[in-house]
Amino acid sequence: MRANDAVSGLVLILLAAAMIAFTSTFPDFPGQHYGPALFPRILGGVVIACGGLLLWRGVAARRAGAALVEMAPWTREPWRVGSFVLMLGLLVVYILFAETVGFIPMAFVTALALFMWFGVRPLTAVGTSVVATLVIYWFFATLLRVPLPRGWLDPIL
Amino acid sequence: MDAFVTAFGLVFTPQVLWVISASAAFGMFVGAMPGLTATMATALIVPVTFFMDPVPALGAIVTATAMAIFAGDIPAALLRIPGTPASAAYTDESYAMSKKGLLDLNLGVNLVFSVIGGMVGVAILILCAPILAEAAINFSSFEYFWLALLGLTCAVFMATDDPLKGITSLMFGLLINCIGIDPTAGYPRFTFGSVELLQGVSFIPAMIGMFALSELLRGAVSIDQQGAVLAQKIGNIFSGVWGVFKQYWFNFLRGSTLGVAIGALPGAGADIAAWISFAVSKRFSKTPEKFGTGHIEGIVDATSANNAALGGAWIPALVFGIPGDSITAIVIGVLYMKGMNPGPTVFLQNPQFIYAVFIIFVLANILMLPLGWTAIKSAKQILRVPRKILLPIILLFCMVGAYAMTNSPYGIIVMLTLGVIGWLMEENGFPIAPAILGLVLGEMLEQSFMTSMIKAEGHALPFFERPIAGVLGVLTLLIWATMIWRGIKGRGGLQEADITGA
Repeated sequence: MRANDAVSGLVLILLAAAMIAFTSTFPDFPGQHYGPALFPRILGGVVIACGGLLLWRGVAARRAGAALVEMAPWTREPWRVGSFVLMLGLLVVYILFAETVGFIPMAFVTALALFMWFGVRPLTAVGTSVVATLVIYWFFATLLRVPLPRGWLDPIL
Repeated sequence: MDAFVTAFGLVFTPQVLWVISASAAFGMFVGAMPGLTATMATALIVPVTFFMDPVPALGAIVTATAMAIFAGDIPAALLRIPGTPASAAYTDESYAMSKKGLLDLNLGVNLVFSVIGGMVGVAILILCAPILAEAAINFSSFEYFWLALLGLTCAVFMATDDPLKGITSLMFGLLINCIGIDPTAGYPRFTFGSVELLQGVSFIPAMIGMFALSELLRGAVSIDQQGAVLAQKIGNIFSGVWGVFKQYWFNFLRGSTLGVAIGALPGAGADIAAWISFAVSKRFSKTPEKFGTGHIEGIVDATSANNAALGGAWIPALVFGIPGDSITAIVIGVLYMKGMNPGPTVFLQNPQFIYAVFIIFVLANILMLPLGWTAIKSAKQILRVPRKILLPIILLFCMVGAYAMTNSPYGIIVMLTLGVIGWLMEENGFPIAPAILGLVLGEMLEQSFMTSMIKAEGHALPFFERPIAGVLGVLTLLIWATMIWRGIKGRGGLQEADITGA
């Protein structure tokens, strides 16, 4: 997704303005001229300046005939869009459920779903998912002692 | 001298040597796989090194990146796809050589000159770093403020084709860094009541997101596009390399010194070193017309330069705590996590640790010769690993790696958020490296700025009163003035960047 610079510029200006407004809630310390709000405000000022220049540049490009938002060619192929959405979606699902369900089932499902979607043969997909999940679990949880969530498998691990 | 002996003792233990060998193999693989970069190798290896002592941790990063930068040359020659961006400058040239039947010579030259280029990088690092550290010991907040600002300035103006987007990206990194407890007053900024945001946005999950997840997202939509390996047999790669060295020894020296210098510039790393030295090689070549037809000359320059740049990038990283490229940006993050704040004091307090880094660098370059040979010999098998198998596994690694940094899903949330932002930024022509530098240098910049402001009571003059601070300050302002002036001057009509950047 390629947005016109004017769009990026506008978004940046709005975000920076909101942020600067928010810094007014930061406290001042008596006898201290330079508080926690100073640095973010300077940065916000620079972002607004950059956003303004981008806006100006984008408007010029728009006059020259550039589109407001241009989608990459792959977005017209549903399968590719699916790959993109699936990858992000699986991450969200993992974040939501890993703590209760546990790493092993969730990682297995994540890998398997992607393998199947990408067109790996089912047997290879299942086998690789099992091996990858267990090896990663062994490496991080057993060897490096990362407390990966055990979830449903807690009684047997 | 004692420190040097201690350093030897630290490096030559079975554990460290084992870690180095394993990360060497890992680096070779990641570098040789198109779409997986040296920075990504670092981002993926850091969660593992988190659980190690400083010496093996740094050893793993040094070795993996050195191998990855070389290994990127292999698919360039075989597939016409650079394995890492650092090989992109001479991919076409390499492939043209392979098609002319010079595949063996090409791979041999790439390997040998990567090794000796890397050695030049280490040598200059060993010579310069302690001297600079001695000078840096007297630096006050003014010097550090200008140094950080100069570093960020270089990163924006020299390392990106679109300075405006570079600055924006840098500001984004600096602003992310503002989240959490502020360094001077201790007030929690932009945390919105979240306990996890109090300590700021976790750096390593952010890196994994911006460098690995965004790459996976790009890979996922082109998963079926795997290059076809050239059906040439790989023979004796070392025959003829000595002849090339005798003919082009000057190119090698020029390429590697240029590489170190560019590597040492903050923000510019191995990839830019390769591009510039390749261009320099062509510009000063006696036979520029041969470039593009499978000519070895430019490759000698560029392949030496990108490996030399790795060592160069460590100079400002170790001496000032200012990263020379995105890899050392991660390293600095790791050093802070290990409680070893990079800067001149490390040279005084922990010299054995600095020497250990030097020794590992030398070791990694020596190791590159046999391992590189093995990688070249097994290149066809490596390149046959399907991406549709690899990508989901890397995604699991990213998830676990990000989780391991915070021991909570918070790490994965940071990774996901910044991964999507990083992907959007790249799509829209905003370079990622300045954002990462901003994220790493933000605290130093803010702290030195605030301390200096308080010391100077808001006046500008004290920022320039100390000699070194004055020089650095004037230099920084000059670069800004030149760039702004150039920007105004070039604004006559609609520029190329305007159309492509739209």
